[in-house]
Amino acid sequence: MTRFAWLQARTQSIVVGAILAALAITTAITGVQLAHLYHSLIVPCQTGCDLAQNDFLSHDQFLQNALVFLMRLAPGVIGIFWGAPLITREMENGTFRLAWTQSVSRTRWLLTKLAVVGLSSIAVSGVLALMVTWWFRAIDLVNLNQYGTFDMRDVVPIGYGAFAFAIGALLGALIRRTLPAMAATLGAFVFARVAVTLWVRPNLLTPQHLSSNLLGADQFGFMIRNGGSPVLVAKASAGANSWTLSTNFVTSSGHVASSNELKAFVHQYCPQIGLPPSGPPPGKARVPAGIPEAFQNCQAAAGRTYHLVVNYIPAGRYWTLQWLELGVFLALAALALVGCFWWVTRRSN
Amino acid sequence: MNASVEAVGLGKRYGKRWALKDCTLTIPSGRVVGLVGPNGAGKTTLMHLAVGLLAPSAGEITVLGDRPGSDPAVLERIGFLAQDSPTYARLNVRQHLQMGEWLNPRWDAEFAASRIAALGLDPSQRAGTLSGGQRAQLALTLAVAKRPELLVLDEPVASLDPLARREFLQTLMEVVAVQGVSVVLSSHLIADLERVCDYVVVLVTGRVVLTGDVDDLLASHHRITGPRRDAASLPGNQQVIEASHAERQSSFVVRTSEPIFDPVWTVTPLTLDDLVLAYMRRDRDGVTSETNGLAVAR
Repeated sequence: MTRFAWLQARTQSIVVGAILAALAITTAITGVQLAHLYHSLIVPCQTGCDLAQNDFLSHDQFLQNALVFLMRLAPGVIGIFWGAPLITREMENGTFRLAWTQSVSRTRWLLTKLAVVGLSSIAVSGVLALMVTWWFRAIDLVNLNQYGTFDMRDVVPIGYGAFAFAIGALLGALIRRTLPAMAATLGAFVFARVAVTLWVRPNLLTPQHLSSNLLGADQFGFMIRNGGSPVLVAKASAGANSWTLSTNFVTSSGHVASSNELKAFVHQYCPQIGLPPSGPPPGKARVPAGIPEAFQNCQAAAGRTYHLVVNYIPAGRYWTLQWLELGVFLALAALALVGCFWWVTRRSN
Repeated sequence: MNASVEAVGLGKRYGKRWALKDCTLTIPSGRVVGLVGPNGAGKTTLMHLAVGLLAPSAGEITVLGDRPGSDPAVLERIGFLAQDSPTYARLNVRQHLQMGEWLNPRWDAEFAASRIAALGLDPSQRAGTLSGGQRAQLALTLAVAKRPELLVLDEPVASLDPLARREFLQTLMEVVAVQGVSVVLSSHLIADLERVCDYVVVLVTGRVVLTGDVDDLLASHHRITGPRRDAASLPGNQQVIEASHAERQSSFVVRTSEPIFDPVWTVTPLTLDDLVLAYMRRDRDGVTSETNGLAVAR
């Protein structure tokens, strides 16, 4: 049965293999050039390296964008073109009646198909992730923003590929028609990715806290949302390559200020800030007298009342989070495959 | 083991609708059995139950003494050709035979290859580009080369043109003669079956209305035509299957094991077609039909 499953997957395997090979050649050549450039441009740089960095980062812009695009696209394509049609094609063409009346149990037929195409999906995702991670490694060293490229590097793309395939196979078994199953697969995959990114990933690890003086904040200012009263905002860094989840104003007693309290604070201690600018429109006019002083007074007052607490995931937890998110998607994939298996072998007659 | 297929109170329900209900029948082995019935009679459902593609909702079915299902040991003894002869459009003829070899332990590669050669099929041609007749022949080859004890064919010639139909049935007869396999073949066209079947099972709305050896059935059924008469006045050993009355003439299809001597009757033999249609009509309309002044002469 394994040989037959391969025979059925032959055309798509050849096509994808060719694409990966072409990509491997492209990334190998340009990746080596990038590495050379990194060693000649960035490594020797001692001071004022911004220019050199910008110069370096602007290399191979097209390929950078193309690879990012490909990484986003690949799992969806796997789900739509490998997962969803796996069972619907056999249903639509009636060939399941041919397959299920050979001398092979339905269980083995399904398990073999799922294994062959599922493992191919994992392999393709893995090879693609490996190439992209390798190609971007110098760029990532310059950017120092590993959590910003979290879902396009290292092991998590394998989980996306596996899950996309599995959800495609499950929806194909349930819906039985190729086009609707493809559409549903895309929807389900995008939903799962967004949901995990927004609601699961930030909660997988317990964040660490970093307190700092407000006066030493990277940024301090005011923000007006939807024309309401101004709110204090500030930003502090938890270090390169870390992931800042939130930055809070905290009182000395440990109370986290709400946005209403921050509005009230501005109203009370920085009365000039909330006023609409008088006179000629901003930009042309000079800063009205007294405003810089008011700003400084305000920051000083805020500094006496609050300190900043940054909740963040440290740089060193990157791999833990990678494996955890991979685990989440592999678990979802396993659930979908069990559902698919159950539906096809138990329910669908 | 005399029966190839045996069903007792067999039923299959889809939602609230019964596609096959309370079906009890025995299909003998070593025969070419025609399963006849109008569209929607439950022929396909019965066949899918027999080859294990469906599980019964009620009753029981055994095939070659086993309960059909997804068990390879049972599957390898049954060859099945589904309606419209499904094949993998993107795989070529050779790859189909390859599949048969990989998936069936009893596969007869020599037979399959010689069959394909005899049919003049190009092994490297994709199944999707074959004609309907060629596809049916390929599918039949797949079903037969697994060396089954029972061959189940669901409307194998329904979508074929008359020439392809004849060629297909000819292939089938050759295979049956050589391999001695039991065959169950469904069709809603009796003419197709007449050529190949020696046993018929007539199924109407999920119920078996007639079953028996074709020669026996033809020998025991007659059309008798004579002056108008009531069906009740016929001798007790003549079972009336169909009666039609014109103004002065009556015509009956009767079943009797004894010869008909009464000289008022003109006795004509029935074709299998007439016979089966009489049973189908009886089941649908009841025994008697009145025609308005016109003699019914079929």
